Amino acid sequence: MRSSISIFWRRKDSYYKVLLTRCKRCGRASFFARDVCPYCGSSDVSIVKSSGRGRVVSYTVSYFRTDSNEEYLPLVIALVRLDEGVYVTGELRDVEPAEVREGMEVEAVLRRYSSDDPYGLIYYGLKFIPVIKRC
Amino acid sequence: MKLGMDAGIVGWGVYIPRKRIKVKEIAELWGFDTGLVSSLRIEEKSVADIDEDSVTMGWYAAKVAIDRGEVNPNEIGAIFFGTESKPYAVKPSATIVGDALGISRRKLSSDLEFACRAGGEGLRISVSLISSKAVKYSLAIGSDTAQANPGDVLELTASSGAAAFLIGPEREAIAVFEGAVTYVTDTPDFWRRDCSRYPSHGEIFTGEPAYFDHIVNSVNILLTDLGLKESDFKYAIFHQPNGKFPLQVGKLLGFPKEKVLPGLVTPMIGNTYNASALIGFARVLEQARAGDRILLVTFGSGAGSDAFSIVVKEGVEQVASRGPTVNELLERKVYVSYSSYAKSRRLIERSIGW
Repeated sequence: MRSSISIFWRRKDSYYKVLLTRCKRCGRASFFARDVCPYCGSSDVSIVKSSGRGRVVSYTVSYFRTDSNEEYLPLVIALVRLDEGVYVTGELRDVEPAEVREGMEVEAVLRRYSSDDPYGLIYYGLKFIPVIKRC
Repeated sequence: MKLGMDAGIVGWGVYIPRKRIKVKEIAELWGFDTGLVSSLRIEEKSVADIDEDSVTMGWYAAKVAIDRGEVNPNEIGAIFFGTESKPYAVKPSATIVGDALGISRRKLSSDLEFACRAGGEGLRISVSLISSKAVKYSLAIGSDTAQANPGDVLELTASSGAAAFLIGPEREAIAVFEGAVTYVTDTPDFWRRDCSRYPSHGEIFTGEPAYFDHIVNSVNILLTDLGLKESDFKYAIFHQPNGKFPLQVGKLLGFPKEKVLPGLVTPMIGNTYNASALIGFARVLEQARAGDRILLVTFGSGAGSDAFSIVVKEGVEQVASRGPTVNELLERKVYVSYSSYAKSRRLIERSIGW
């Protein structure tokens, strides 16, 4: 399956970093980066980079196969509460499905998402792994 | 060459994939003599997962280096990515890592290739850039998912890992460079032709005229230039293609094994190519004390060697505590079978759309 190179390029900041919207009026943070606070509607917001660290709130294990994901299966998809108090979903790697626990500390790391074909573009983005060291 | 001691290490980071395969399992599968296996002195090797490559590993190591240095990524003016397993033949890895870490767009940025010593060359260039005040900080990364033809003796050692060093001004550094020498020749000990998936090598030829000759020469020139002798160094780290060569070359140069073993990581993770000596150096930094003098020696086939003399300053323990240590990464592991390793390293691939 071929992805859009131009769309990926325009959005690469959001693939490479966990970007949050911080509202200057109500003070709340939200995922993802946008121009308006989803809680109070204020457009007085700033885009901030999350530490990428948090804890697993819940998770599911997916065996659903597509033409491009067989080599990664099974996928562990986790709901993560970031240290900034914001909830995000993401793929959890470096852990067997049976070892995942609610409350597990995780951090976002750069990994391969997919590739168009053996000669195509490689798409990188963030996934979660169990935190290597809490610093 | 004596340096002005005005450039040093501000931060460093390492990444070792958590998967390990026992070398004994590979050897049994391909019918290697057990005597050969034990002579290599490598118990197990690290295996990059299927969604990892030199870019993702280099990204992690560089992120930790920046975190340790507590530096604003926007102030980094150069990034050098040393690898012989870049994901793209044409398209820089350094720019992917740079953008993903939020490093300034006004930067020098290059992928360097010189077999296993490109990471060391990045270090040497970075020191020069800082000394000349061309940039405020420079990032030197060595990262490889080392390739080996299945069944080749190289498969017993070729592994995956990354190391990154953030070089900056002396006043911010926890260790400074007092000297560096590079010694290179045209020596055909190891190569990978264009479009070839796996490297070829000259078997025993990789030792005497390549590894040993270049390292001995770079170290001897460095010692002469600086007026130092072996006893002036607390630690010595040599490039680590296997577990025995670093001890042998250390002995040749007069360094007892007690000075070499603290930085010898290959027996636990295999040969991470461009990260090999650099991971060993990071491990030594994490146990060094102010005033210690360290000898760091890289080697790359083709062939060349860089020898650095580095003096540790106050504050190294505090900076070390800001990130995962090499020992913590060595302990983070899970063993996999040859079939799992083969899938992770794409030795077997599923054809899509056929």
